[in-house]
Amino acid sequence: MTELHTTFAALGDATRFAIVERLLKEGETSAGALHDGLPISAPALSRHLKVLRKAGIVEQRVSAQNRLYSVRPQAVETISAWTMSHREFWQKSLDRLEEALLREIRRK
Amino acid sequence: MTELRLERTLPADPQTVFDFVTQTKNLLKWWGPEGMHLPEHDIDFTKKGPWFSVMANAEGSRFKVSGEVVAVDAPKSVEFTWGWHDENDARGHESRVRFEVAEAGDGASTFTLVHSGLADEESATNHNQGWTSSLRKLERLAG
Repeated sequence: MTELHTTFAALGDATRFAIVERLLKEGETSAGALHDGLPISAPALSRHLKVLRKAGIVEQRVSAQNRLYSVRPQAVETISAWTMSHREFWQKSLDRLEEALLREIRRK
Repeated sequence: MTELRLERTLPADPQTVFDFVTQTKNLLKWWGPEGMHLPEHDIDFTKKGPWFSVMANAEGSRFKVSGEVVAVDAPKSVEFTWGWHDENDARGHESRVRFEVAEAGDGASTFTLVHSGLADEESATNHNQGWTSSLRKLERLAG
């Protein structure tokens, strides 16, 4: 389960935010490739990735000699629900209302 | 304070639409975005009185909103107050929602939703705009 406050705490750090941003832009990325674009040491990157994994934001996969990192879709879903505006809330709800009404009418 | 106004033409007569936006069994068919479910709720907009709903996503994040139905004029309109609760169940800023249903001809209805008294530029559960814009950016990248 992704706890909101854990997600927020993990993303509250600028470097970790930048890591997540890159993973979202570029998709699954190896630790080596991630390190090339960041002004931090490899051990620091590894610590940040550990925090992000513990918070359930990032997941790791081992392929050949590489550790590959990506953003968990569930974390994005949590963030998306958190930032949803009232407009989105109602528009999405009204889409469902319209569908429910159409189903009701076809049944009649 | 801002106001949000949404209008839809729906393919049913006003009475059917009114039933769909006020009765518990019908509200449960559409309340909240796809992917959310309602583990706890007491929503009946057919009569005055308190209401609440807890929405949850697949990951278990919970979002509670509550208020009070303050006016019912079947099958034309219903009005209720609206306030999100935070993680400690403290209720935040109160706003107001009004549903209006009108005949649109050919068996259709016009449904108007007015959400007024919104505190800031549209943030639903997070009132920290800095956070919201940062997270929205992540969300866009993910989409």
